Amino acid sequence: MSDGELVRRAREGDEAAFSGLVREHGESVFRTALSMVSDPDVAQDVAQETFLKAYRALPGFRGDAAFRTWILTIAANEARGVLRRSGRRKEMDIDAGPPIPSEEASPEDGAVMADEAVRARRVLERLPEKQRLSIQLRVDQGLSFREIGEIIGSSEGAARVNYFHGIRRLREMME
Amino acid sequence: MTDPRCESVGDAIPDFAAGRLDAARGAAVQSHLDVCGECRAEAELVGLLYAARPELPADLVQSIEGGMRFRRRAATRPWWGIAAAAVAAVALGIGVSSRSNPVMEDVPAYVAEMQGLSPWVSDDALIAGAPVLDDLSEEALQILLDEMGAGGPGGAA
Repeated sequence: MSDGELVRRAREGDEAAFSGLVREHGESVFRTALSMVSDPDVAQDVAQETFLKAYRALPGFRGDAAFRTWILTIAANEARGVLRRSGRRKEMDIDAGPPIPSEEASPEDGAVMADEAVRARRVLERLPEKQRLSIQLRVDQGLSFREIGEIIGSSEGAARVNYFHGIRRLREMME
Repeated sequence: MTDPRCESVGDAIPDFAAGRLDAARGAAVQSHLDVCGECRAEAELVGLLYAARPELPADLVQSIEGGMRFRRRAATRPWWGIAAAAVAAVALGIGVSSRSNPVMEDVPAYVAEMQGLSPWVSDDALIAGAPVLDDLSEEALQILLDEMGAGGPGGAA
């Protein structure tokens, strides 16, 4: 069943339809929240609050935006609110933290690749929020730059710039 | 990126790394990566990021739905119900944590309603019994409060 049909039914009070939306978008909401708050437990709380707010706001959802974009925007705002209330801004000076060491190349390529992958994610966390979120939404979830722009509150072009600047910065930091 | 194809390939690299492209588009991207070191390096980095995506909690959907139910109930419970739940949680917690062998001979109405539910077992008097209270009806909660006021079980609060 399409998102549009699930939304239509959920607006009529069909709770099973809303559960369908949770199953369809729960992962994306959780990943978006996690990329901002960096704590799986907090990200789950954010996901719960996000869907609760969406449930309450569903009667006013006009469908101008895709449901996915709408709910991820709520998730991003909710995560920002959590960070603000906890006094913990995720932003940090990307050059301020200790260097994240690279593993020496060795014959165990698989293990080295896995280590490098983990290191890449750790370096990603140091990027500014918009760059980090653009990369996470594009790479992990396959969102278009237009969708990303709507979620981070910028234009499609700005979302693209954030993504490529982030990737370039990430490459520099990984070297 | 000097090749004019770099821009369109750059846009497609995340989908390529995640296996989201169809075969024809994937082959086109791969053929460009074979000859462009810059895009290849970018694809390798994006591939690393995708490979190390955080794992999802096993019960994510159930957790979200359970949390929503809890918050919706909490939001719809009247103010006196919230206050009563807080008081009764303390009272029940003290009862649960201070008794090693609970006596079940005289079973008041609210306990009958609790049967079949799964109480938390906790040494923390502030939280023990809270999930049980959450599943109580307003009527049962009021009975519990009345009995506490009359010196019923757990009336230490």
